[in-house]
Formats: sequence, C-alpha cells, structure tokens
Amino acid sequence: MVDRVHRTVFEAMASHCEIRIATPDPQVAAILAQQAVAEVRRIETRYSRYRPDSVVSRINAAAGDEWVSCDAETVALLDYANTLYLSSGGLFDISSGVLRRAWDFRHAQVPSPEVLTPLLALVGWRRVQRDGDRVHLPQAGMEIDFGGFGKEYAADRAATLLTELGVWHGYVNLGGDMRFIGPQPDGEPWMIGIQDPRDPEGSVASIPVSQGALATSGDYERYFDLDGQRYCHILDPRSGMPVSHWRSVSVLAPLAIAAGSCATIAMLKQADGLDFLEQSGMSYLAIDHAGRMRHRRT
Amino acid sequence: MAASILSAALLLPGVQAHAEAPPANGEISVNYMNYEDRQSGLQRTTVHSPSLSILAPVAGDWALEGTVVSDDVSGASPRYHTAISGASHMHDHRDAADVAATRYFDRGTLTVGGAVSTEHDYFSRALSVKGSIDSESKNTSWSLGLGRSDDRINPVNLIVVNETKRTTNYLAGVTQILGMNDIVQLTFTRTLGEGYFNDPYKSLDNRPRERAESSLLAGWNHHLVATDGTARLSYRYYHDTYGIRAHTVTGEYVQPLSNGWSVTPQARLYTQSAAYFYYDPVYDAQLGAPFPPGYNGSGYMSADQRLSGFGAVTLGMKVSKQLDKLWSVDVKFDAYQQRGSWRLFHGGSPGLDALRAQTIQLGVNRAW
Amino acid sequence: MSAATRISLRTTARALLYMAALSAALSGCADIGKVQPWEKGTLARPEMTFGGNALQTRNDDHIYTSREAASGGAGVGGGGCGCN
Repeated sequence: MVDRVHRTVFEAMASHCEIRIATPDPQVAAILAQQAVAEVRRIETRYSRYRPDSVVSRINAAAGDEWVSCDAETVALLDYANTLYLSSGGLFDISSGVLRRAWDFRHAQVPSPEVLTPLLALVGWRRVQRDGDRVHLPQAGMEIDFGGFGKEYAADRAATLLTELGVWHGYVNLGGDMRFIGPQPDGEPWMIGIQDPRDPEGSVASIPVSQGALATSGDYERYFDLDGQRYCHILDPRSGMPVSHWRSVSVLAPLAIAAGSCATIAMLKQADGLDFLEQSGMSYLAIDHAGRMRHRRT
Repeated sequence: MAASILSAALLLPGVQAHAEAPPANGEISVNYMNYEDRQSGLQRTTVHSPSLSILAPVAGDWALEGTVVSDDVSGASPRYHTAISGASHMHDHRDAADVAATRYFDRGTLTVGGAVSTEHDYFSRALSVKGSIDSESKNTSWSLGLGRSDDRINPVNLIVVNETKRTTNYLAGVTQILGMNDIVQLTFTRTLGEGYFNDPYKSLDNRPRERAESSLLAGWNHHLVATDGTARLSYRYYHDTYGIRAHTVTGEYVQPLSNGWSVTPQARLYTQSAAYFYYDPVYDAQLGAPFPPGYNGSGYMSADQRLSGFGAVTLGMKVSKQLDKLWSVDVKFDAYQQRGSWRLFHGGSPGLDALRAQTIQLGVNRAW
Repeated sequence: MSAATRISLRTTARALLYMAALSAALSGCADIGKVQPWEKGTLARPEMTFGGNALQTRNDDHIYTSREAASGGAGVGGGGCGCN
C-alpha cells in the first residue's frame, strides 16, 4: 500500500511555499500540513520587520535608547547570527538591512556615495551590544533583521514538527529553501530541479534528495540589470554594493538554515566563495557570473 | 568554518526531531525495598522486597510491560489493637507478577492487563482493561478503566477454609494540559467488593461481606521555569461503606541539579475516620480483652488499627542520578508516623500507640 | 439495594457529573490548554507526567494500603493480597 502525497501551497515570507507530505490517511495529511503552515506563520509574525509588534521591530524601535529582553528562541537566533558573522569574516551581518533603503530594485539606479555613506555608518554587528538575554542597538537608526536565514529556519522548524508528528515522507519548500522529512513513499528520492539563474522557467540540474536540506542563494530574486551588469539584493556590508561573482550557489546540508547560510556566505565571499565551499565538506552547485558551473557531491 | 556553522545551527531550538519520540523507548528497572515498622517501642514488621520490571516497545504500535515482585515479610502483627504476643509472630513470602499489553493509536491507547499474587494463605488473580482517548490537539485526554480480581483465602489457623473475595473496579479520568508548564488530572474510581473481608488473624474480626469504595484523586504538576524544578501536588478524597472517610494530600518537588543529579523532597498528610464497626481498646468489664463492652457474639466488629480514626504524616527524600543516556540510579527514604491524635478535623481513635515506619528503596534503571 | 449503596451511587453520579462539567468547561476555555505541539517540550519530561517510577510507586501504594483503610485512586485491576 503506497501513501498518497498531499500538497499544500501557500504564500509566506514573500515567497511561494509548498509542503508535500505523505501519510496513510489523506485527511491527517491536510491537518498536519496546516500545523506546519501555522509554525511558518508563527515565525513570520515573530520576526518580520514589517510588523510593528514583532520581536525584531521592538528591538529596532529601541535603537539608541533601551536594552530589550529577549526570549530563548530569539537569543538562540542572535547567537547563530553571531556565529555567521565570525565564520564569514564579517560579511554576513544581520545589521546590514539598513542598506536596503539605498537600493530600490524597481528602478535601475545605482545609489550615490552620499546616500550610501550615512547608511554604512549604521552597519556593524560588532557594535550591537548583548548581555545575557538582553540586546541593545547603540545608535538610533540601526536595525537588525533575520531575513538572511528566517525562511530556512522556518523550513527546519516546520519539517521537524512534521517529523515529530509522525510523518515519514515529504518536504517543506519555502521559496526554494527546502528541508526534507524523508523520501517519496516508495522509498525513491525526490528529484529536485536547481533553477537556472537566467531562466525562471528552466532548471540547470536535477538532483536526487531524500533527507537533509537544500538551499539556494542567487542574484535573481531581487535585482536590476544596468549596462550589462546585474545588481542584486545580496549586498557587501562593507561597501553597500551588491556581490557579482556568482549567479547562484546551492548547498546540501543536514539543516536548511546551515545550507542557506553557507550558500549566502559563498555568494558574499565572491571569488573566495569556492574555497569556502570546498572546505565546508558540503555538496554544492555554484554557477558563476559567466554561467560556468562548479559542483561537488559528497 | 562551515563545521562551526552546522554545529551552531544544531543548537537552535526545534530544528531537528528528537531521537526518542514516544512510545518508542523500552526500560528495565530493578528496585529493592526495605520496610520496617515499630510500635510501643517494639519492632513489628520487616519487609524485604526486590522487584523487576521490563517495558518493551513492540512492532511500532504496541508496548508490553511486565513486573515481578517477591516480598519477604516477617514480624509480629497484633491480634487486636496494638497487642503483640509471642503467638502473633509470622514469616510469610509473597510472589506477584503482572503483565500488560498496550496498543497505541493515533489519538489514544488501549491496555489489557493481568496480575497474579500468591502467598501461602492468599491467592489473587486480576484482569483489567483501560482505554484513553486524546482530543485533536492532544491537550485533553479522557480515560476509562475496568478491572476485576478474584481472591482465595486459606488462613493457616483454619478459622475459615477456601473463602473468596471478588472485587470489581471502575475508573474514569481526565487529564488536561493547562499551559506549557502545567498539567492537571482528575480521576474517579469506584470499587465494589463482595466476599470475605475479615482479617482471619485478628481476634473477633467480623466485617460486612460487601464493601463499596469511591475515591476522587486530583493531581497538578507545575514546572517552575525559574528553578527548572517541578512541583507535584495531589489530593485524594476517599469514602466507603465502612463509614471511612479519608483525605490524602501529597506534595513533592523535583529539583534537577547539575551533572544529572536530582533531589525530590516529599511530604504526605493523611487522615481517616474510623469504620463504624471499629471499637476502641476499652473492653468488657467481665470478659476482658479483646471483647468489646456488651459483647454478645454477634454483629460487625473489628479491633484492627487500620480501621481506626487517625492521622499520618510521611516525610521523604529521593535522590537520583542519571549516569549516562541509558542508566540511572536512585535512592528513596521515607519516614512515616501514624497517630490517633493526629486525625484532622475530628478526634481520632484513642488508646492506640503511635505506629512508626521507615522505608528505603534503591532503584537502578536502564533505557533501551 | 441498601441505603449505603444508594447513597454511594448518588455520590458516584454526582462526581461523574462534576468531572464531565469541568472537562467541558476546560475544553471551552479559549486560552487554557492551547499548547502547540512545538511547545510541549517541558510537558514531556518524566516529572511532568503522572506516572513516576513504577516500581517505587507500586511499593509505596502497597505500604499505605497495608497500614491505612483508603486505597487506590489511580488505577484498576491491581489484584489483592493478604496484607490487609
């Protein structure tokens, strides 16, 4: 008897999301998938910078003013952000979100130094003060956000929840960041297409995955092209300018948040990203600015 | 570099499923108990009781549980009230075993069990079935249970031969999660028994051949985030057709310490009224002890201290240590005292010396 | 049936009615008990369940049953012994 695969599609975290699970009873699948969707929405609500009542907004509103006490989950995410900052040599910096104000990807316009410089003055994870469960942004205007790993974290949480609820087959896909619960009901792995960074309808490779996670960081999510040069939303926090060495980096790792962070750090490290991926020991597929593919399956 | 990213990611909450998800794990436990009580300055009963239990998950949806106990009881039991004579010395051995099979469903369980207990003058066998159903969120759980036991009594003094007692019990309960740190349970049980209830080794003991008992047990477990400790409180109201009304309050506080150590101080307060046919140690002027005043050879009566009115206090402490992922050991010590004058709200039965008891238990557990 | 049995049955019926009402009230409460599966970590700890060390609990119950008149409250079908 083969379990049928149940598919739930929804919008969250500004992305198309999909949960596929297989359980013996299709009604149970629908209920369990809703629980997973609820968990994704919980994280979105708690950490969205667009919601004035979110944890992140409260911390940002107190910038230059008070210390904010955080719960255990937020403290854990801040610790993780710190590890990413140190592991990337300061390139993955969750206080760099203010640079967004300089870049409006709906207009093909490169911001001038007069616009960027004051914003760069507000960037610097090193300056963020922490003491136990309390956090303080020392200067008004400074901001932190978890957008760099929020989707991947939600994918891990949702997939773990489903596993603990007894699901053995399926995956959670939040805008291309995927965490697998288990193979297809017949035991075969899922065949996942890696998107072609220059063709929204096409894929450059199809890889079999049955466990762990697959996350991709690319220059095709928010961008504009100007004079043959692509300007994407992944910004170097030191210059405020987008990175350009890689079109996309996909990484396979046990956890979606780890895969996503490594993919983003490889993008940020630009030419040095390849060494970083090689040393990581993780499987990856990286497509450079000229469309050349580098990959490794471990 | 990336290795530290992965290890940092693994520290985040809820990003990987725990290795043990219920009801997967099995356990084997061994326990040794030593019990001693004293009254009127004399050692009364001593019990040595080793026991073993095994819990085994089977085929994914089932669990089997089995326990064996071997009690070695020796000492002097009073013939009436607290009177101990040389003749009341005894030495007995009791072996008991029980098994239960539980089937786990999506939203509930069903357990079927059987038990046997044998000593040289008492044989008992019992069967039971218990089911539970969870609400959709699994925050509420209801249970119903039914049990029956059949006992055969053949006292060595041959005061009766091949007597029997049959007991049926019913249970209805609800368990409710109140919050992340709070869970409560309410259980109602009713026991209907018919047959031989007398204590054959006690003088003039003559009890009704029917006994109906009801009890309501309320429990509350509360986790204190500040200390990481857990307070476990319970109250039980009991009443039966012997006219006995009893209140039991228990409280324990589990405090985890570092390195897998944990201490649990515990206290229990108990109070009961006397059975309507219990008589105080005041004896007939002509016949003397153990005869109650105006004894005419008929009617229900008992001089069993256990049916008198009294209060009792237990203070205990348990210390346990989780040695590694699989093994844990614990030691538990309890001191108990029972006195007529400690009965709450009303006067207790007079004229009986305090009963003191202490229990020590040592346990070793291994998960698998 | 005897007066005692009749009274006991009335008590039983009343107790069950109270429990049913309490149960219904609790499940009706909007905020109480709405604990999500990912929040049940603490509740899964052994000290938060109503079991406890099975062998030790059994021994304790047996001691109290042999020294006091009240018994039971938590389970069914334990079987009897000559100790009381």
